[in-house]
Amino acid sequence: MNKILRNIFILLVIIIFIVAFSPSYTSLNIDNLAYVIALGIDVGENEDFNISFQFTTGSSTSDSGSSEKSPLIINSVEASSIDSAINLMNSYLAKKINLSHCRLLIFSEEVASQGISDAVYTLANDSQVRHSANIIVSKNTAKDYMQNSTPILENLITKYYEIFPNSSKYTGYIYNVTFADFLNQYLCNTCEPFAILGGVNKNANTSENTSQSTSVTTMKSTNTPFSGDRGAENLGIAVFKDDKLVGELTAIETLCLSILRGDTDSFLISVPDPDNPEKLLDIKISNEGHKKIKVDIVNGSPYIRFEAKFTGRVYSMKDNAHYLDDAMLEAISNAANQYLEEALTQYLYRTSMEFKSDISGFGKYALSSFLTAQDFEEYDWQNSYVNSTFKVTIDTEIQSGFLINET
Amino acid sequence: MDFKKILDSFTWKPQEAYDFSIAQTEENNHNQEENVNPLENRKKIVSHLDVNLEYIKTRFNTFLNSDIILREFTLLVHNKPYKAFLLFIDGMVDSNLINDFILKPLMLRNSTNTFQTQKEKNISQTITNNVSLRKVKKFDLAQYISSRLLPQNSITEEKEMDAIISGVNAGNCALFIDTLEIAFDIEVKGFKQRSVDSPNNEIIIKGPQEAFVENIRTNTSLLRRITNNEQLIIENIEIGKVTKTKCALCYMENITNSDLVAEVKYRLNNLEIDSLLSSGQLEQLIIDDNQIGVPEILSTERPDKTAKHLLQGRVVVLVNGSPYSLIMPATFIDFMSSPEDTNLKPYFANFLRTLRFLASIITLLLPGFYVAVTSFHQEILPTELLYSILSARETVPFPVIFEIFIMEVSFELIREAGLRVPSPIGPTIGIVGALVLGQAAVSANIVSPILIIIIALTGIASFAIPDFSFGFHLRFFRFGFVLLGYIAGFLGISIGLFVYLSILCNIRSFGVPFMAPFAPAINSKGNGYFIPPIWKQEYRATYVAPKKEKAQDHISMKWKYK
Amino acid sequence: MNHSRIGTLEAICLILSVIIIRTVLSLPKAILALTNSASIINLFYVGLLMLLLVYMIYRFFQKFPGMDIIDVSEVLGGNILKKIVGFIFIFYFIVSSSIFLRNFCECLRIVYYPSTSILFVILFFIIALCATNYLSFNASLKANLIITPIALGSIIFLFVANFRHFSPQRIFPILGNGIFETFVTGLGNISSFSGIVFLYFLPPLLKEPQKFKKVAITSVVLSVIYLMITVSIVLFIFPYFVKIDEVMPLYSAATYIEFGSFFQRLESVFLLIWMLVLACYLGIISKFVLLIFRKITNVKDFKPTIYPVGLCILAVSLFPKNYAMAKFYETDIYPYLMIGIVCIMSFLILLLASFRRKRKVGDLD
Repeated sequence: MNKILRNIFILLVIIIFIVAFSPSYTSLNIDNLAYVIALGIDVGENEDFNISFQFTTGSSTSDSGSSEKSPLIINSVEASSIDSAINLMNSYLAKKINLSHCRLLIFSEEVASQGISDAVYTLANDSQVRHSANIIVSKNTAKDYMQNSTPILENLITKYYEIFPNSSKYTGYIYNVTFADFLNQYLCNTCEPFAILGGVNKNANTSENTSQSTSVTTMKSTNTPFSGDRGAENLGIAVFKDDKLVGELTAIETLCLSILRGDTDSFLISVPDPDNPEKLLDIKISNEGHKKIKVDIVNGSPYIRFEAKFTGRVYSMKDNAHYLDDAMLEAISNAANQYLEEALTQYLYRTSMEFKSDISGFGKYALSSFLTAQDFEEYDWQNSYVNSTFKVTIDTEIQSGFLINET
Repeated sequence: MDFKKILDSFTWKPQEAYDFSIAQTEENNHNQEENVNPLENRKKIVSHLDVNLEYIKTRFNTFLNSDIILREFTLLVHNKPYKAFLLFIDGMVDSNLINDFILKPLMLRNSTNTFQTQKEKNISQTITNNVSLRKVKKFDLAQYISSRLLPQNSITEEKEMDAIISGVNAGNCALFIDTLEIAFDIEVKGFKQRSVDSPNNEIIIKGPQEAFVENIRTNTSLLRRITNNEQLIIENIEIGKVTKTKCALCYMENITNSDLVAEVKYRLNNLEIDSLLSSGQLEQLIIDDNQIGVPEILSTERPDKTAKHLLQGRVVVLVNGSPYSLIMPATFIDFMSSPEDTNLKPYFANFLRTLRFLASIITLLLPGFYVAVTSFHQEILPTELLYSILSARETVPFPVIFEIFIMEVSFELIREAGLRVPSPIGPTIGIVGALVLGQAAVSANIVSPILIIIIALTGIASFAIPDFSFGFHLRFFRFGFVLLGYIAGFLGISIGLFVYLSILCNIRSFGVPFMAPFAPAINSKGNGYFIPPIWKQEYRATYVAPKKEKAQDHISMKWKYK
Repeated sequence: MNHSRIGTLEAICLILSVIIIRTVLSLPKAILALTNSASIINLFYVGLLMLLLVYMIYRFFQKFPGMDIIDVSEVLGGNILKKIVGFIFIFYFIVSSSIFLRNFCECLRIVYYPSTSILFVILFFIIALCATNYLSFNASLKANLIITPIALGSIIFLFVANFRHFSPQRIFPILGNGIFETFVTGLGNISSFSGIVFLYFLPPLLKEPQKFKKVAITSVVLSVIYLMITVSIVLFIFPYFVKIDEVMPLYSAATYIEFGSFFQRLESVFLLIWMLVLACYLGIISKFVLLIFRKITNVKDFKPTIYPVGLCILAVSLFPKNYAMAKFYETDIYPYLMIGIVCIMSFLILLLASFRRKRKVGDLD
C-alpha cells in the first residue's frame, strides 16, 4: 500500500514537472524554431529599423549522395526595435526565431553612423546571441549584403560565414571582429570598437570590370578589384568612436591594425624593388610574435612607441635575382621596414587625428602609468588619444626566397 | 482499515538501517610478518601419526575446509596392523583410483599383506667366539609398502611436509603411516576435465579458456588447482529448507579480512528460504538493497577471474547447480575491468578501460543528452550539425522524445528476441531487426537517420561493458535520463546525475564503499581505475582491508634489480 | 561507525564547493566592484588574513578536542547558548543556501526556461535534496568529492581556453580604487571565504582529527588560488564588469570559448557541471542543518526532518519578490551575514570559551 502510494506520488511529480516545463520545451524545441543565420539592421522607411533575417534550409542530401546548394531565404520587417521585429517575424513565419546560430550581425552604414549602442546592448541582453558572431558594417544596406552573400565553394552559407574571418590570419586585410570583441571594446575605457567593413561588389554578376581601385592603400569593400559570383565582400574595417561610425580603414590600414593587435600570423606586402624602383617585390612577412608596445604619458599627452620584429621571404622571382646576397637582402629589408613604418605611422596618425579613436587598444598599455583607477578615469584616455605622438620601429629580416634563391 | 493504511504511509516509522562496514584497521598491516603460520616452521614428518594428523588438520583447516578429505584407516603389513591416513582433495583426485589401487590393497586381506616372513631378514650369519654375528637387513616398512602393496605408477617418498602438501594441492594423495618418518605422495590426479567447457559469455582472447560447470566439486577443484595453496578455505554451507542446496564459501585464510568472511557467513547462514536454485537468487538474497539495482556482487563463469579476486582478499561463494561464482565485495572498478586487462600491457589495458568508461557514459547519457540538446540547448551544436539534424528531422512526424522511445524499445526488443530465439533462426532476427527497423524506418521517414546512429552507438556501448548485469543496469537507467532530459534538459540530467552519483556513493558492498577508492578517497596503492604495470602492483586493494596487504616484494623482478 | 566520518579530501572539497557556487553566481563581480584592478593583490592579502584566522580557529579547537562550535558554546554558556548558536547556524545555512539557489535558478530560468515558473526550477533541486536524504550522511559528501574536482577542472579549462582573450595589462592600475579601498574596505572580501563555516563543525566529524590543521590550511590556500583564477578570468577578459551587470560572469566567460568551428558555445556543459555542484551543495547543507538540529534537540532519528528543511529552503528561496531582490540579498545582505556569524560570532565564542577553560584549569591548579 505504502509502496503504491509512493509510486503514484512519484508519477504525479513527474507529470507535474512535464506540465510545468512543457512551455519551455515547446518554445525551445528544435522542431519549433527557425534559426537565423544572419541578422541585418537597416534604417526603415516608416519605422526606426528595417530588420532582415536570413535563413537557410539544410542541404537535403538524397540517397544517391548528391547534394545541392541550399537556398537562401531572406525576410525583412520594419519595426521600432530588434526584438519587436523578431516578434513580428515570429507571427509571420509561424516558427519561433532563434538567434543562437546567428553568425553575422550586419549593420548598414546609415545605422552605424547614427549609433548602435542600443542595438548592441539589446543583442547582448539576449542569451541566444552567439558571442562569436561576426559584426559587419555594410556600405550598402544590410539586406543587399545578405541577398548577395551566396555560397560559392560551400553548400551551406553558414560554412562560409564561419570561415571567412579566418582569412585575417594570413592576409590581414580583414579583422575577425566578433560580437564579443565589439562589446568589450565599446564598454572598456581603454579602447574603441571597430567592425568588419562589408559591402556589395559593383562588379558582381557582370562580366565587365568597371574601373576600380587596385591599390591596397585605397582598397576597401565596394571599392575592390574582385569580380565573381558572390556579390558580398568583406575588406577593411569600420572605425567607431563610442558607438558611432566615424570612418573606414583601407586594406593596408587594416593590416596595420592586425599587426598592432597581433591578429595576423603572416601577410604579404609589395615593396619597391631596390634594383628597379619601378617594380614591386612581393614579400611574405611572418609575425614572429616579438612585439613591444610602450605607452608613456609625457607632458600629459601619450607617447606611444611600437617596436616589432618580422621575418620575411621573397615571393617575387625575376631574372637575375640574388636572394642569398647579404647586401641584397639588407636592401630589401630596408625597403620593407620603410614601407611598413610608413604605413603604420600613417595609419596611427589617421586614427588619432582623423578618427580620434583608439581602435588599436593602446589604452591598456597606458594603465600601468597610473596608480589608481580614478586617476585613469580623470585622465580620460579616450579623449586624450588625439594628442598622441607615435614612434614606430620595424625590424624586418628578409631571409631568402622560397625554393629558388638565385637566378 | 484502508484509511489507516493510507494514513500510515504518510506517518513516519523509524527506518532500520542495516549497517556493516569493514574496519580498516592499521594493525592489519603491521603484523603482516607475524601472520605467518607458526606451524610452518615444522617441516619434517615425524614418526607419530597423531602428530602428523594434527599438523595436517591445522594446516588444512579441515574443520572449515569441506573438500579436504582425511581418511583414517588401519593397514595390514605382515598381518600387523598399522594406523594410517590418506589425505586428498575431493574433486581433484580420481576416487576410483584411490579406492581400487590404494585402499583396497592396503586394507583388504590379501596374500601380500598377510604374508609373513621373519621381520628381520638374515643376510649372513657368522659365529665367532660363540657370539653369533648376524648381518641383518632391517625390515623396511616403507620400502615394503611402496614396492609391494601400492600398485601405483607414480609414488614418491617425501620427508618434508611442504612437499607432501604441495603434492596434495596439485591433486595427489598423501599416505601417512604410523611409525614412518616419511609419507607417500601418490599420483591419483583425476580432474573432471571432460565437463569443463570454455566460457560462453565472458570470452577473452589472451588467457585460459575454461569455465565453471554445474557441479560444485568440479568448481572447487578448479579454484584449488589455480590457487594451489592450502590457505584456500572452502566451507560447505547448505541453503534452503527443501532443496538444501550445497554452497561453498571460499576465501584465503591468510589474506581475506576475517570480518568480511564472518559477515558473508552470517548472511548465508541466516537465510530462511525453501529453495535455492541459482547463484542469481543467492546474489539478491545476500546484498544490501540499493534503490537503483546496481549489482554489488561480481558474478563470473571464469575460474581464473575468481581466483584472482580470491588472491586479492575477497570472498567467493559457489552454488551447486550454477556455473557462476559470486565474488564479494565488488566495487565499481571490478565491473569495468575484464580478466583480459592483466594479460595485456598496461598501456593497452588502460586504453581499454578508458574506452569502457566512455562506453558506460555513452550508454547512460547519450540518448538523454540528445533529447536535452534538441529540446533545449541547440546552441551547443555546430551549425552544420544542427542543419543536418534539422534536414533529417524534416519529414519525421514524431517529436524527438517519441522517436527515441520507439527506437530504444525496438532495440531492446531485438536484443531480447535475439537472445530467446532458437539458434537456427537467430540470423533472421538480425536481418529483420537491422533491415526493417533500421533501413525501412528511415526510408519511411518514421525516424531520422541521426537517431539511428544514437541508438546504435548506445547499444554497442552497452555491450562493451564487461559485466553483463552492470551493462543492463546502465541500459535500464538511460530511459530515466531520457525522461529527465525531456522534462528539463540539462537541469534534469544534472539533477538525475547527482542523485545517481549520490546513490552510487552510498552503496556499500559488504562494507566496502562501491565507489572506492574515489569516494571516499582512499590511497588504493595501485589498485585504482587504471592499472599499473605488474611489477608495480605491490599491494592488494586497501579498501577490502586484507590481512596481508603486500602482494609482492618491492622489487619483484629480482633477476634484474638486486 | 567508520563510514559516517569525513575523510580529509572530502572535507577540503566540502569547503571548496561553497566557494565554487558563489563564484559561479556573482562573487567575482562583487570582488571586482569592491577592489577593481587591485582584486588579485587584495585577495592575496585577504587570504593571508584568512589563514591567520583559520590558524587561530585551529588553535582554539585544539583546546576542545572532539567538539564542534555547538559543543563549545555549551561549554561557554550552557544549554541556552548552545540552542541559540545552533539556531543561528541553522538560520545561516538555510538562508544562504536559499539565496544561492534562488539566484542560480533565476539565471537558469533566464537562459533556458523562460516560460517555466521559478517554483518548478527550484523544486527540482529541492526534490534532489530530499531524495538523497534517504542515503547515509556522507553520501552527498562523497558525491561532492567526485563532482568538485570536475567543477574545479571546468574552471581551469575556462581559464586556459580563454587565455587568448586575456589582456593581462588590466591588472593595472595596480592599486585599483586606492590604497584605503584595497586594504581597508577591501577587507569585505573576507566574505568570499564562506566555506570555512564548515570548519567549525568538522572536528568531531573528521576520520583523522589530527589532520584538522591540514584541512583548514589547505582549503584556505586552495580557495585563494581558486578565487584568484576566477577573478582573473573575469578581470582579464571583460573590461566592463565594473561597469555593467551581467548574470553569472563565469557563464559569460564560458560563452567566449571556441575551439575551431566545432566546439563553440559550451556554456550549457559548464552550467551542467555547476548545477551538479549546486545540487551537491544543497545536499550537504541540508545534512549539516540536520546534524545541528540533532545536536540541539537530541532527536534520535533525524531523517524525517529533511522535509521541513527542504520546505524551509524552498520557502525562503521563494521569498524575494523578484530577481532584483534576490540579487540584493546575495550581494548586500549575505556578506554581512557571513562575516557576522562565521567570522565574528563563532570566533568570539571560541575565544571566550577558551578563556573560560583556561581560568577553570587555573582554578584547579
